[in-house]
Amino acid sequence: MDLSRLEEILDSKGSETFAIMEVLQDVQEAYRYISEEAIVRISERLDVPVIEVFRLANFYKAFSLTPRGRHLITVCAGTACHVQGAPRLLDTVLALLNTKPGETTADGAFTVETVNCLGACALAPVVVIDGKYYDHMTPGKVRALLEDIRFEDELAEDEDEEEVEAEANA
Amino acid sequence: MPEPITIFVDDIAIETTEGANVLDAALRAGICIPNLCYLPEVTPTGACRVCIVEVERHGRTKMTAACTLEAREGMIVRAHSEPVLRARRNIVELLLAEAPESPVLQALAERLSVTDVRYSRRDRDCILCGRCVAACAEVAKQGSLGMIGRGANRHKGLPFYKEEYCTQCNECHDRCPLELSPSGRRGDHCGVCGSELSMNDAIPDICEDCVLS
Repeated sequence: MDLSRLEEILDSKGSETFAIMEVLQDVQEAYRYISEEAIVRISERLDVPVIEVFRLANFYKAFSLTPRGRHLITVCAGTACHVQGAPRLLDTVLALLNTKPGETTADGAFTVETVNCLGACALAPVVVIDGKYYDHMTPGKVRALLEDIRFEDELAEDEDEEEVEAEANA
Repeated sequence: MPEPITIFVDDIAIETTEGANVLDAALRAGICIPNLCYLPEVTPTGACRVCIVEVERHGRTKMTAACTLEAREGMIVRAHSEPVLRARRNIVELLLAEAPESPVLQALAERLSVTDVRYSRRDRDCILCGRCVAACAEVAKQGSLGMIGRGANRHKGLPFYKEEYCTQCNECHDRCPLELSPSGRRGDHCGVCGSELSMNDAIPDICEDCVLS
């Protein structure tokens, strides 16, 4: 695992203990999860026992201790969303991606999570995909959104392959 | 230098210092406030609530844990009033439901005349008193153990649940109320409450109800 990004983050945040949350947030963003190596290194640099860093990373739902997929899909399961059909949305997403809540698809593309409320009950049911909120969702709309993401991913992959081929030809 | 002050515990005047730990002051003065998570050598956390007392301030009473209560001049503390005893029995019932097999908790229940547990047994064999965590951080100076998770999922553990983070010093094990058993080891009578539960080698003549260890 490449820890250079981690060192950059630690260098930028200084060595004060209170920087720990910012460091964890940046590490989560950069690596899409917080690895054991990262936790041990943060513990050394900030002079905080390993267990304290682990506890924090474990406590907050925003942090993941296992690698998350390239796309994070959060289905709100709060009361308002539940009433408006969130369980059907979740079933649709899980069936489409063949995964379970909190788990990542085998190809590492998607992680599906549920959340208890996003504070956007007027927009219920809400699904968040990669930080973007989608309101008044239906199973059909979710299916279309996921297909769009898959399509875009494939395009990006094809472009990568073309670039590699172009380089090889040149 | 903290100022010498007088506090009143169960109507008995106790000389202590400003900001001193009320539980510690009472125990030193021979007033036995039952307690569980308190360890004299580490920072009190007030986790178990067994040492609950009533404090009177400006004519109002408030229930709080004695181990985290700082003494103030003229403070009035009641450790054995009817509401306190009722609350304490309830707390011990709750603790017993978590770990019914603990001999120490059974002894504590017996002493407080708790005969029935109205809560469903959970048999977790841990009451989250945090003595192990405190011993790890402050006695062994390891800081390996910690409380992980939140709410009902809170539990003690090592980072990533890996044994390699533990130095096997056993300071935690030696202080766990589920590992300890009352009476038998020393056989002495408690110098504070007179019960036959004394088992503390470090602080002789104090029973496990006073300074559980």
